[in-house]
Amino acid sequence: MNKFISLTKIQVLDFFSKYTQKLNVKNKYLGILVMFVPVLLVLPAAQLVLELYHTFLMVGFPELTITYMYIANTILIVFSSIPLIISIFFYAKDLRLIATLPIREDTIVFSKLASIYIYLLVISCFFLGNSIVLYGTIGGLKVVSLLVGILALLISPLVPMIIATIVLLPFMSVIGSGKRRNLMVVVGNLILIGAIIFIQMISSNIQMRPEELNNLLLQQDGLLMVIGRRFPPSIWLTKMIEGSMLHGLLFIAFNFVLLWILRGLAKTLYNRALMKFNQEGAPAVRGKLYYKSKSKGFQMVRRHINIILGNPIFFLNTVLTIFVPILMFVIVLFTGEVGMDISKSEALASYRLFIYTAVITTPAILGSLSATVITREGKAFWETKVLPVSAKDNIRYRIYSTLVIKLMGSLILGILVLFVIPMDLTSILIAMAFCIAATLFFSSIDMIINIERPFLNWTNPTAAVKNNLNILLSLLIRAIVGFLGYGLVKLLGGWQVSSIILILCGLLFVFYIITRYVIYEMYVEKFIDIAP
Amino acid sequence: MLVVKNVSKIYTNNKKAVDNLDLEIQKGEIIGFIGPNGAGKTTTIRMITGMIAPTEGTIEINGKDIARESVEAKKNFTFVPDHPTIFDAIKGIDYLNFIADMYEVDLKQRKEQIEKYTRAFHIYDALGQTINSYSHGMKQKLLISGALLPNPNLFILDEPMVGLDPHSAKILKDIMREHCERGGTVFFSSHVLEVVENLCHRVVIIHRGRPIACDTLENIKKSSSATLEEIFLEMTKDE
Ligand SMILES: Nc1ncnc2c1ncn2[C@@H]1O[C@H](COP(=O)(O)OP(=O)(O)OP(=O)(O)O)[C@@H](O)[C@H]1O
Ligand SMILES: [Mg+2]
Repeated sequence: MNKFISLTKIQVLDFFSKYTQKLNVKNKYLGILVMFVPVLLVLPAAQLVLELYHTFLMVGFPELTITYMYIANTILIVFSSIPLIISIFFYAKDLRLIATLPIREDTIVFSKLASIYIYLLVISCFFLGNSIVLYGTIGGLKVVSLLVGILALLISPLVPMIIATIVLLPFMSVIGSGKRRNLMVVVGNLILIGAIIFIQMISSNIQMRPEELNNLLLQQDGLLMVIGRRFPPSIWLTKMIEGSMLHGLLFIAFNFVLLWILRGLAKTLYNRALMKFNQEGAPAVRGKLYYKSKSKGFQMVRRHINIILGNPIFFLNTVLTIFVPILMFVIVLFTGEVGMDISKSEALASYRLFIYTAVITTPAILGSLSATVITREGKAFWETKVLPVSAKDNIRYRIYSTLVIKLMGSLILGILVLFVIPMDLTSILIAMAFCIAATLFFSSIDMIINIERPFLNWTNPTAAVKNNLNILLSLLIRAIVGFLGYGLVKLLGGWQVSSIILILCGLLFVFYIITRYVIYEMYVEKFIDIAP
Repeated sequence: MLVVKNVSKIYTNNKKAVDNLDLEIQKGEIIGFIGPNGAGKTTTIRMITGMIAPTEGTIEINGKDIARESVEAKKNFTFVPDHPTIFDAIKGIDYLNFIADMYEVDLKQRKEQIEKYTRAFHIYDALGQTINSYSHGMKQKLLISGALLPNPNLFILDEPMVGLDPHSAKILKDIMREHCERGGTVFFSSHVLEVVENLCHRVVIIHRGRPIACDTLENIKKSSSATLEEIFLEMTKDE
């Protein structure tokens, strides 16, 4: 047990030290403020939960907020844990050392999972945590519900995390044994994620026969059964929070059974999957020798893009952050809840431009690529610094690499979405202008974050691109800009949608010019001073 | 070739790693840079190569200030670091072409130089493989080949002998000598004192961030019969 605790402590410290380490904020109050960034991000989530709560309250079943959020949370956590698990088990630099220590296999597996667990718990707080707190406090304090709810929140990441582990470890050892291993890992996992989304779509699309539905609804907990049938533990959880001991036991027992199964499997998983994968040599892709000259700019941009392509975790993460939101959009569109009306209804015509613009701008908004472009290089960062390339260019090419990837994502989305929402040329051009302005602005301002906080010493690649303060800061900037934009849209309520978008586009462009000036005037010195 | 004037470096944790260093290296010299662990060798080399900025002082390479005319200054030297950590998901040949493009080496010279050095170091056959399949020494030799390929005026190396087998070390020493016979300059740090003793025209000894000697071997020895090792141990002894 002692070994487990100290191993876990190291893992957790390593995982989170990056969050506070090198905060490097001179101003003390700013430093404290920075620590509260996640709290600020909770607010929009709380708003969403509150709206859902009111909807369910109107039908008379506020507790369904929890059922609904628990299911959503479980899916969200399965998705979030996939890159985390791969990164921490298969691409972490510390496993070589840990493998030589006299520790039992299940201890290693569990201590590694412990650090992921804490991170997932934080994610759970956003939606599930909010709904539990809201349910337990709105309209009078329900102490028991609140306490039981917090207990449920604490164990909620276990189920999706363990399921993801049990599926992923053998899966990785299969796809990871081929020649083009990194490519296989990326493609394999994308297919896996696609499959999960597909199963979700099917299961929510299964139409019940009307009389069956009626029968269900007539029962005491009819609506709960309908919503929860996709994932029964959500029903147990809801009833447990309402005070049912029996269901509480069922829910907790379910979690423990899964834990116990993982424990039983740990040794096999470790030896068959982990060790096998890590013992496979790096892929020795052979190629022809060639001598070709290219421009400096091309070479530098290619280098930064290659850094993403060459690391499965970076690659997977980039693809996921750019495309998964869109996949979600497609699911919503096709599962009948919103329906295909968007493309047809005349009343929604003006919203179509909003939606189209929003969709093609998601890569700019969700991909915080510039915020980690220096970090991703890690210990190889020194390379470009000693080359005869000015610091300005060195920064510029990094931003370009972000632009290339994001605009490519936007282009693909723009074409795909056209099949669902037909648009005329003028609208497409307006949306494009907005998308380009947003991409330019966000790609540049993220660069400032990364120069301020370069963080080059990471032990596992997820730490570099996901679980660090840079990403949170960059999300915060988006939240603030989004808030301002939302205010402006409300203010200009009566205006034409295209005019509003063009005004926002103009503003973003002005922001971009200012950001650009700030970077090339004030941040070049800082960039030069980043100690490798 | 290289002029370092009153250079100091204080890291953000207030650690003074280099304290008022002065250094002048002439064209065609081989200079050995020695000192105990943590003395400030790597820090000095990082400042010379423009990886970090000095807190105080100036550095000129071939008359160009590394801070003000960084690109012009950097065209004059190439650098091999103490750890061969580079972006390694690409092939060896990709890396060499990348470096050649950065120093604007034309195709003919590129091909000649790459073949010359990679064959000398026995990594020519591995150039088609990705770098992450290389051993430590192979990576080191790839980096050295890349650094030699533009035929730099000044060749800077941080502990180049670490991880090289005796053959490769010998080849590197020969290359360094040959480079300076052609008018090039070599500046390298090392803990292998025999190499420094055999190879260098002048030796710089640094201790706790301060230069404590900077002279030819004969002058440092002051005609005593002590070896460089004995002198080094005496000079950097902790009271
Ligand atoms: N990034 C950094 N931040 C803070 N202090 C540093 C940093 N890098 C080096 N130092 C400190 O500066 C001093 C000099 O370090 P440096 O790496 O230059 O030594 P060195 O002479 O190269 O040693 P070695 O022979 O072990 O390579 C050391 O005391 C070290 O702790
Ligand atoms: Mg050193």
